[in-house]
Amino acid sequence: MLVLTRRAGESVMIGDDIVITVLEARGDVIRLGIQAPRDIQVHREEVWRELQAANREAASPTEDAVRAVTKMLDPAPND
Amino acid sequence: MSTRTASRPIGDIMIETDRSLPVLDLALPMPGFPAHRQFVLVRLNDEGLLYAFTSIDDPELRFLVAPPEPFFPDYAPEIENEVFAALNTKDPDRLLVMVIITAGVNETTANLLAPIIVDRDSHRAIQVILNGTNMPVRAVMNRAF
Repeated sequence: MLVLTRRAGESVMIGDDIVITVLEARGDVIRLGIQAPRDIQVHREEVWRELQAANREAASPTEDAVRAVTKMLDPAPND
Repeated sequence: MSTRTASRPIGDIMIETDRSLPVLDLALPMPGFPAHRQFVLVRLNDEGLLYAFTSIDDPELRFLVAPPEPFFPDYAPEIENEVFAALNTKDPDRLLVMVIITAGVNETTANLLAPIIVDRDSHRAIQVILNGTNMPVRAVMNRAF
């Protein structure tokens, strides 16, 4: 891992068009500003990983599971 | 010009297959599935409550999705300008919001944090992460209507 030391107000460039700026450092909290092209997704790592896990869990449900959901959506039978 | 159709029948659950489903291009891949960029929405329920968001590249990959309104009437995700730009659209009325469903044995949940937004005109789609909203990734889903 490349390790760089930066002060508040200083930046790091990744490639030609991604700029990460340290806005503020207070205790163990660092605020970052990130400029990136539209097709680059920027997310907090834990949020992205949770979403990745949720997507994988949701992917390609079994026929039985699909049937169960379909049944749940069916209008209640008239008695 | 060829039309694409869902290549896998979904057994007796399949009620109706539109033979000319538009191919939806993902503006960005879904987290966890970087190689899948094109999908179709296959309707699974004749009330339009359930769809299969199915990969063109691999029809074995599909997600159950649903319009949130009937299940989560208060759910109104705010769509940011970046999303409109990624979808190449400006008209919020042409956007379709779908939540991804996880079908479990005991309960079915919907991902309210990261819905799929589809633009009906450009046929572009994106899974949006609603940062800063504290929306649940697994909201229990019931037919409450």
